[in-house]
Amino acid sequence: MIKTDVIIIGGGATGCGIARDLALRGIPHCLIEKGDFAAGATGACHGLLHSGGRYAVTDPIAARECYEENLILRKIGEKCVEQTGGLFVRLPGDSKRFREMFLRGCEDVGIPAEAISSTKAIDLVPNLNPEIEEAIKVPDCSIDPFRLCLLNIRTSELRGGIIFTRHKVTEIIKSHGRCTGIKAIDQATGEAREIHGNIIVNATGAWANKIASLAGCEVPMTLVKGALVITNHRLTDMVINRLRHPADGDIIVPNEAVCLAGTTALVIDDPDNLLTESVEVDTIISEAGKMIPHFNNTRIIRAFSGVRPLLKSKKADSHEISRGFQIIDHENGMYSIAGGKLTTFRLMAEKMVDTIMASFNLKKSCATAEIPLEGQEELSGYPLVKRLTDMKNIVCECELVTRQEVERIIRQTTTRNVGDIQHRTRLGMGPCQGGFCTFRALGIMNDMSVISPEQSMEMLRGFLQRRFRGIRPALWGDQLREEQLVEYIYLGILAMEKPQ
Amino acid sequence: MSVTDYDVVIIGAGVAGLTAGALLAERGFKVALVTRGEPTACLSTGGIDVCSRYDNPLLGIKDLPPEHPFHFVSEKTIRESLDHFQTAMREMDLPYAGAVEKNRFILSALGTLKTSCLVPSTMEAAPQDNNDNIHIITFKGLKDFYPGYIISRRKKTGFSVYDAGVYSTMSIASHFEEKEFFEKFITWLTKLDIQEDKVAFPAVLGLESASEIVHTISVLIGKPVFEIPTIPPSMPGRRLFNALKGYFRKKGGTIYWSWTVTGIEKSGKIIEAVTTPSEGRPNSINAKAFILSTGSFVGGGLTATREAIMENVFDLPVHVPGPRDTWFENDYFSLNHGIGKAGIIVDSSLRPADTRWENIFTCGSILSHTEILKNGCGHGLALATAHVAVKSCMEYIR
Repeated sequence: MIKTDVIIIGGGATGCGIARDLALRGIPHCLIEKGDFAAGATGACHGLLHSGGRYAVTDPIAARECYEENLILRKIGEKCVEQTGGLFVRLPGDSKRFREMFLRGCEDVGIPAEAISSTKAIDLVPNLNPEIEEAIKVPDCSIDPFRLCLLNIRTSELRGGIIFTRHKVTEIIKSHGRCTGIKAIDQATGEAREIHGNIIVNATGAWANKIASLAGCEVPMTLVKGALVITNHRLTDMVINRLRHPADGDIIVPNEAVCLAGTTALVIDDPDNLLTESVEVDTIISEAGKMIPHFNNTRIIRAFSGVRPLLKSKKADSHEISRGFQIIDHENGMYSIAGGKLTTFRLMAEKMVDTIMASFNLKKSCATAEIPLEGQEELSGYPLVKRLTDMKNIVCECELVTRQEVERIIRQTTTRNVGDIQHRTRLGMGPCQGGFCTFRALGIMNDMSVISPEQSMEMLRGFLQRRFRGIRPALWGDQLREEQLVEYIYLGILAMEKPQ
Repeated sequence: MSVTDYDVVIIGAGVAGLTAGALLAERGFKVALVTRGEPTACLSTGGIDVCSRYDNPLLGIKDLPPEHPFHFVSEKTIRESLDHFQTAMREMDLPYAGAVEKNRFILSALGTLKTSCLVPSTMEAAPQDNNDNIHIITFKGLKDFYPGYIISRRKKTGFSVYDAGVYSTMSIASHFEEKEFFEKFITWLTKLDIQEDKVAFPAVLGLESASEIVHTISVLIGKPVFEIPTIPPSMPGRRLFNALKGYFRKKGGTIYWSWTVTGIEKSGKIIEAVTTPSEGRPNSINAKAFILSTGSFVGGGLTATREAIMENVFDLPVHVPGPRDTWFENDYFSLNHGIGKAGIIVDSSLRPADTRWENIFTCGSILSHTEILKNGCGHGLALATAHVAVKSCMEYIR
């Protein structure tokens, strides 16, 4: 049994941010995550660090929060934010009235917004549709959500935070009506774990109501699914938004070697069962294609969906639901933090920890906005220059990941999950989407005895089935060709049978 | 513009195209084969799958859906096509084992038993059930082969690791054809005290002389030895391609490499020539008839867009299995994906249907309704339909 002060459930940006904040204020804590970091909405988003522009017209409070956090993250997370800048482009037929509202909204909030001519915009982003009327330049950035979580966790680990990933909370322990701890199961070994604490923070995003219900509480939320597609190369160096009321397919974000484009908005019930429909993919491509025409002929390597855990609202159009966040005191030792967005994760964490400090009657104030994220040098991803230094024994040809690098991550994390290697090296993130290298990575894990032969076989099956969910909506052109090849390999050459 | 005249031009250098070319060349026709590059056969196990539905492929074929192109081939022709293949491969020192009446198994790199019909002699000794105990020899750092997967199914499997100093199937295969490396390896191998019934290797035992190497090792250690095909690049696939290519040339055929057909010259119902924009060599090839064997999507014969499926050389009408949403089922392991039926619809002479061209014949996986993975009929169908296409083509020319 482990005893601590604060138990955080959820390893998304919010949970990791809370762990960092608690660590910097010297509060012992333990974080439990059922999958890997950033496994929910944090990892399934477009990786945009909002300038606030998107909300300037519809939600000035959210817009201001976004802009302030944008400035802070650029400062404290220099190495994990790419300062791309963003454009809101107005296409022929898009409302001029919205443009006026947008500029006024940005001015009111204090977001630097500069209207530029179409010629100037095309100078900045040569792939833009030459028909655009004009563009407004804002300080949008792109951010790697997974690395962001790891960096927040690093601070916690350095100060004694206890972190469990792949642990699923099965029970909230209560005593005299108060929540006093949790029981969790190690998903890999089946081992049970009991952790006791004074306060439990439910930062589980789309799963907040499920966790709250374990303590007999409720978190009223609206779950809105959003689909995204990933291109096989970078079509723009700036974030491209559509200058109009929020709607489907209005954003393209460059990230590493690819671009992500989205999104859609569909209210759903179950965050564990997400399917991306072809019609969503078609909508995103045709809308993105209006801003960058080349998008129509670009290879899409994957489509996926994330869930925005928004606060319950009766608004009919889910694009209009507030992106604000809320802290719910269940008055039994458990708090739920819900709503919000990736850009404001630090602010959410600050407010949450302020509440915790008040309940402990402690005074120390938040330092997360001033101290740079620790470990940025080591965790600065896996840049190309580093990858090109060793071309011997490449395991993932798409992303140039070597066997040595894979072995290093396995030793370092003692992971039993191929997704952990993927997140840390970009293995399997390229055009073949792990079709070749996952077979190898699992083989190497077995060679190194971190998994048994049976596990490697079972995990390979599970991987192929999951992978296909992301690829299926994007199958035409070269991606279909590649997929057929991968299918011939596994189901033909390797004669893999249907799982029982 | 330089012009070259042939009796028949074949487009595509896979099993179907090279076989069709060889058959025509053997009969004295002047044949050219144009290709964009190496075929998907290079990625295959090298095995000739005829039909894996039943133990007896001939019975399996009878049970295929009525639209399946195998129904355009008589049993006699199927037998002839396999006999011809085995004879040709013997001539090229790449003997194949097996017979058309009975399927056999090769051991896959995941430890499953993959059904095939004719198999390279290097895989002949593969276990035909789960009983034989095997000992695997693998290579340090070899990135495309992991004995663990096989051990997960065959628990009693033993293995030993040899350090070849190189890590890819291709480089190890070329080392095996060097005398010094081979002798050093044999010294190491014969010192192992192998108890199991059979000895297995990932398919890296040479490129030119694999069957001889397997035979030599087997004699030296006194146990049956066999190869396990790996994921691409596949040595047995490449050996098959090299042998078919060599055989076609030996019979007098000409191959034009990196020759992508980008245009046609036509007159009425006849295609007169295919053209390519290359400089400094023939960029237009005339022929009396054309055989299209460019393969399916992977091979590059077909291309899918979000709305349609196209044939890439002659823009022939393609059978499209419904809207894009129905091309793939949700289950990855389903072999029923609708896309497996996409391809060219043909008449019984393998001439494309619903087109005005009289002198085009098709064979291999570009045909519609093949469902190659589901029916286990890849190279076998290519051989058989090549024979039919050649027969129709010869009748047409006469």
